[in-house]
Amino acid sequence: MEQFKSLLGGDANRIAASLSPPKVRSFAQYCVIILIGSGLYGSTLGLWRAPLQSLYTAIKFPLLIFLTCAGNGAVNGMLAQLLGSGLSFKQTALAIFMSFAIAATILGGFAPITVFVWYNAPTLQSRNAILGHSMMLLTHVFAIALAGVTANRWLLSLLREMSGRASTARTVLFSWLAGNLFLGAQLAWNLRPFIGSPRLAVQFLRDDPLHGNFYEAVWRALRHLLF
Amino acid sequence: MTTAKSPVLVIEALLKYPGRVIHELEHNWRAALAGSLLIFALAGMAAYGILVGSFSGGAQLWMAPVKLALGTLLSMLICLPSLYIFACLSGVEARWRTVTGVLFAAVGLSALLLIGFAPVAWIFSQSTDSVAFMAALHLIFWAIGIRFGLRLVEAMGRLLSGSTRKHLKLWGLIFVMVCLQMATTLRPIVGRSEHFLPSEKKFFLAHWIETTCGTNQQKK
Repeated sequence: MEQFKSLLGGDANRIAASLSPPKVRSFAQYCVIILIGSGLYGSTLGLWRAPLQSLYTAIKFPLLIFLTCAGNGAVNGMLAQLLGSGLSFKQTALAIFMSFAIAATILGGFAPITVFVWYNAPTLQSRNAILGHSMMLLTHVFAIALAGVTANRWLLSLLREMSGRASTARTVLFSWLAGNLFLGAQLAWNLRPFIGSPRLAVQFLRDDPLHGNFYEAVWRALRHLLF
Repeated sequence: MTTAKSPVLVIEALLKYPGRVIHELEHNWRAALAGSLLIFALAGMAAYGILVGSFSGGAQLWMAPVKLALGTLLSMLICLPSLYIFACLSGVEARWRTVTGVLFAAVGLSALLLIGFAPVAWIFSQSTDSVAFMAALHLIFWAIGIRFGLRLVEAMGRLLSGSTRKHLKLWGLIFVMVCLQMATTLRPIVGRSEHFLPSEKKFFLAHWIETTCGTNQQKK
């Protein structure tokens, strides 16, 4: 519990000390926090569409985090060393897990609020179903953005502590963020649906999860909008 | 405030020495103190609810107090996990039970202020038929009360971490939104009601617009 509090409190000295040397126990603790926090929150993401979608999203949300960490693990470790942060591969992985654990904790804390929003959102069967979908979407965008910003601020202070230089910390964080957002967006696309569209069936994955990509879809949407 | 035996002492401490309440909850925590703060918060809200219900009379005399007390309790339960997490994010060295107690104290303080405003609200409730006006008046009184309550939460940040952080202010905003939505979920609290709960789900802004435009106004 004390470690959990110092993690949330952003006690960079203490967290930096826990990274040297990185312990398997810390990895396990962060994994459990991510599983519980993001799983709980994920269940509220899919709740509006259907109870089954809620179960699927509770599984997929932590999966998205773990897949993003695994996919970028090597390149994040390399970038951390190339940019002079002084972090090893294990320390890089642990630091990134820590930031996801913070985000997952915040999201878990938001779960009762998002359940309340779901209770108040117009149902799928009502004539205001689109309004309900928008309400849920905006609430989740707010919650996820808040959790993400907070977690990355903590990561930045940890990097400052570890590297001793603010500019290095910013560069390393930016490079990690760029990689994680790039891969994370694509993985989220592959693992869709999370909230579930009112017009489409409840599914664990869409029929063609690997067909197309996030960036093509954004490009198509922009073309529709502009031309 | 060595014991929580006298409600007068608790009220006095809430008004004059809120820091002492926080200190007691952190360093000398007793279930009796936290319990009395919760009971005080709920009873205060229910008492103000009787006044709110007196505007329409009839079934609203019991429905409004029940809804206000129930809504307050549910709002606290919904927001308690995020308050604890936000307190930790602010660097507050507090335990779960301290944070819970401070939340009860904050809502208790706002209930106390509402009771203070009750005579003013009653005068207006007897001299107008406008649901929109009365709803707005209750909302203003509630906003003043909750502002002081949230100051207590921020004081917890200052006393237990040495500074007031943005996280607790942001949490305050979330709590206010949850309370406003709760009032919409349990509507109508002001005005006549056929059923205990409405069948239609509504976002609080949409409900307010309808109320101020007079599409759902009914005193009796």
